[in-house]
Amino acid sequence: MKKKLSFIGSLFAVCMMSFAFTTIQQAKPWPVPAKDAKMANPVKSNAASLSAGKSLWNLHCASCHGKKGLGDGSKAAQLKTTPQDMTMASFQSQSDGSLYYKIAEGRDDMPSFKKKIPDAEDIWSLVNYVRTLKK
Amino acid sequence: MAQDTTAKKAAVSADTTAAVPVIKKKSYVKDTFDGNLLIDDQTVMVPIKGTFAFEIQHRFGTVKNGFSDAFGLFAGANMKLNFSYVPVSNLQIGLGASNENMQVDGNVKFAIIKQTKDGLMPVSVTYYGNSIMDTRKKDNTTLFVNTSDRFSFYNEIIIARKFSENVSLQISPSYSHFNNLQGYLDAEGNVKPIWNNDNFAIALGGKFKVSDGMSLIANYDQPVTQNPAQNPHPNISFGIEMRTSGHDFQIFIGNYGSLSPQNNTFFNQNDYKKGEFLIGFNISRLWNF
Repeated sequence: MKKKLSFIGSLFAVCMMSFAFTTIQQAKPWPVPAKDAKMANPVKSNAASLSAGKSLWNLHCASCHGKKGLGDGSKAAQLKTTPQDMTMASFQSQSDGSLYYKIAEGRDDMPSFKKKIPDAEDIWSLVNYVRTLKK
Repeated sequence: MAQDTTAKKAAVSADTTAAVPVIKKKSYVKDTFDGNLLIDDQTVMVPIKGTFAFEIQHRFGTVKNGFSDAFGLFAGANMKLNFSYVPVSNLQIGLGASNENMQVDGNVKFAIIKQTKDGLMPVSVTYYGNSIMDTRKKDNTTLFVNTSDRFSFYNEIIIARKFSENVSLQISPSYSHFNNLQGYLDAEGNVKPIWNNDNFAIALGGKFKVSDGMSLIANYDQPVTQNPAQNPHPNISFGIEMRTSGHDFQIFIGNYGSLSPQNNTFFNQNDYKKGEFLIGFNISRLWNF
């Protein structure tokens, strides 16, 4: 009986420890003003836009978000916030306006790109490219 | 009061309906070159307003001594730090300092014309100029009588075209002036000039984009003015450029060993025909404020 109790106790301790070291990271909510979220994308997702968006992605985004948007870029490990998997439906369900707002304004580890990418057309092209990352 | 509230609600509701941002029709060609520098020359690019750039340039000794000085890596090196800022659109101002003759310089770059995407303006044209002061102490090895003797000037017009997503070329005629230059005594004891005080040169540079982060780069610089003695040799240089969101890094091999364009145009004695090449690199860090 004593042996059985100590076995159950050890099992419980192992279970608790495994929970203790498993951090389930929830994405911090990122509210987007309704006006920005509803903004329509004025740039058509054609070959020229996607090519421009891909260049910008490779230059500014891939180092953290990864080549395919999985959040596995070479700098991702140094960030306090784990980049989201952009291929997931939960990410892709956001409106174009929301993505534009987040790229332009930034938050925490995600820098603001409105000065680095000063033409709105380019940010919209980047949004168009982000759409192609969907699985 | 109730009407007022209703009107306000209606205004808020109208404000949150889907807006279609207006995209301007006329737009300029971007990224003709990836940074301010193309090996030993300036590029046509002026960064966007509010950009602060910090550049580190380094030139090792020539590779001709082989393993004895690790192909120039252990030989004396020239280094330069340059800080620049773009306070208004199309205008960049900068300050630099180099260990070569303890030179400090002020420089300015202005984008006069920019190539447009619609093809109506086929090229970009930029002016670059600097004024360099040699700050070494006055002694037997220097030739300074007046403060003005310490100054030299460089003026350049850079004409560039981005031919495709991958290929950009530029041509840059330049004019350099030294206020005071060393001479020599002839057989009769008369002071004769070695160089003219004014020199013209022309440079041709290009970039071939291999991927979004990497390009092959090359330059050819040809001094044009014929001097009484010690004519400078041209420069052939080529290398690799790597670019990230905030950095631009170039590593290359070439003949020019100075970090001031007028020094290269006047005094370069590294001859490519004799294999007098040297390794160099440029690092740029850009911040947007």
